[in-house]
Amino acid sequence: MDKVFDFRGVSFAYPGREPSLRDATFDVGEGERLAVLGANGSGKSTLLHLMDGLYFAQSGEVRAFGQRLTPEAVERPPFGPLFRKRAGFLFQNSDAQLFCPSVEEELAFGPLQMGWKEEEILRRVGDTLGLLGIAHLRDRPPHGLSSGEKKKVALASLLILSPVVLLLDEPTAGLDPRSQGMLLELLDDLHGRGGLTLVTATHDLELLPHIADRVLVLGEDHRIAADLPTERALGDTDLLLSVNLIHAHRHRHGAMVHSHPHQHTRTHDHAHGEGKDHLH
Amino acid sequence: MGIAAALLDDGLPAGRRGWLGRIDARAKVLGLLFILVIATLVTTLVPLALCVGAAWALALFGGIDIRRVALALLAVPAFTLALAVPASFNVVTEGAPLVVLCHLGGGHWGPWRVPEFLTVTDRGLFVASRFALRSAACVSLASVLAAATRPQDLFKGLRGLGVPAAFVMVAAMMTRYLDLLVRCAEEIHLAKLSRSLGGVSVRREQAWAAASMGELYRRSRTLADSVAEAMVSRGYTGEVHTLRQGRWSWRDGAFVAGCLAFGAGLLALG
Ligand SMILES: Nc1ncnc2c1ncn2[C@@H]1O[C@H](COP(=O)(O)OP(=O)(O)O)[C@@H](O)[C@H]1O
Ligand SMILES: [Mg+2]
Repeated sequence: MDKVFDFRGVSFAYPGREPSLRDATFDVGEGERLAVLGANGSGKSTLLHLMDGLYFAQSGEVRAFGQRLTPEAVERPPFGPLFRKRAGFLFQNSDAQLFCPSVEEELAFGPLQMGWKEEEILRRVGDTLGLLGIAHLRDRPPHGLSSGEKKKVALASLLILSPVVLLLDEPTAGLDPRSQGMLLELLDDLHGRGGLTLVTATHDLELLPHIADRVLVLGEDHRIAADLPTERALGDTDLLLSVNLIHAHRHRHGAMVHSHPHQHTRTHDHAHGEGKDHLH
Repeated sequence: MGIAAALLDDGLPAGRRGWLGRIDARAKVLGLLFILVIATLVTTLVPLALCVGAAWALALFGGIDIRRVALALLAVPAFTLALAVPASFNVVTEGAPLVVLCHLGGGHWGPWRVPEFLTVTDRGLFVASRFALRSAACVSLASVLAAATRPQDLFKGLRGLGVPAAFVMVAAMMTRYLDLLVRCAEEIHLAKLSRSLGGVSVRREQAWAAASMGELYRRSRTLADSVAEAMVSRGYTGEVHTLRQGRWSWRDGAFVAGCLAFGAGLLALG
């Protein structure tokens, strides 16, 4: 069976820059939930763009569904349109993703480019909006929506194509806790129901257990620092320290100075020598 | 909501824009645009005044938000006065004097001959009022169209009238992202305000303006790149395909017919 993605020694640099991704080798199987974890600027978005056939490897080879991704391959039928249908990319910036004058047209955009029948499209628009509980937004212009609603509409515009894999670039960034929760629930649902493959770029360690079973850790040198199950990644303090996802934190308790790895998104207990436990 | 968004869209659903709001966007674009073109062609005052009257009658009885039309009309005097008032003087438009304003003394000023008196001429007054009325007519008609039609329907309507999809897409995106850019500029400005509470020298102010223009340009470039990528990612390959349009009802046809008849009548009046 073909892998969904297969990267072999892939490097990519923006014009006139140092490489933003170096020598990446990994694969993604069908139905997997993979997180691409790394500090800001480590190359997560670049990697997702390569997976979606928006950028192309300058050395090495990217394969999707068994086919090598090249500028020609992603345009030429039958593979091109099929690949665009199978892979959905949720951009970090919803405003970039929602470029149509109304929500209905936003959802219809993908199917229309692929030449679906109009009655079929309108029916699917209704179904998809219903699935996400946003049928009431159908005639609204996207710019007036809240950021949570925008994310849902963007996701709906991908789901209408029944993709096999979703590439999510920091999907919960900028969302309020309730919208975050709803989004995670929805992704969980989709994965459980349809065996959707999920690839999520994030630097949020808290999010990790909710969205991934396996983690690809990108270092600040733009290389893959580790490829391991989520629990092991979360437990590996040295690894997380070395890729700048947590930082050593020095502070003073009375006369005693001590240092421990620290991540600012979560409170934690710890104990030291004199038995005075406390909370950060 | 940003300034641009407030101007472009009040967020009302089509059903809350009166009967005029329920007329098909294509019919409104066609009918009102036709009258608007006529307003630029007629040369006498009566048809222009009728045009303004018709736009206001539509606004009043069409059940749309009259304040938006009135607001747009407020901009007319400011612009037209600056242009139209000088046109009414004999130094600009020759003609029989109606009112003598002051004594200029005659003679020459550079290559120009200075008249004995500064007067408002009959011909000048006519030119000035025609200009003012024409502006009022065009602005009223355009704002009635805007107030009675949601932007997304307006673009759909243009497309339905045979305007190429790519062209409409660009126009739609411009209005779509205008708001975003205005907000972007506001953010940059606010970020600067929050950092400089004291007085700032003119030179630093200029440097800041240049830098923020650069930043705005950079941000809009990045956004434009991402939009293009988002389109490609969903199957765009250089040609835009869009949804077909709904059917015309007898009401849409009647509206266009009414507009055509009214426009023809205006032309007949001169
Ligand atoms: N459009 C671009 N042009 C030039 N350099 C870029 C561009 N996008 C990203 N980079 C650079 O590539 C590196 C990786 O960026 P990115 O993939 O966006 O990282 P991440 O998503 O992990 O924050 C960064 O050093 C960034 O400055
Ligand atoms: Mg990124």
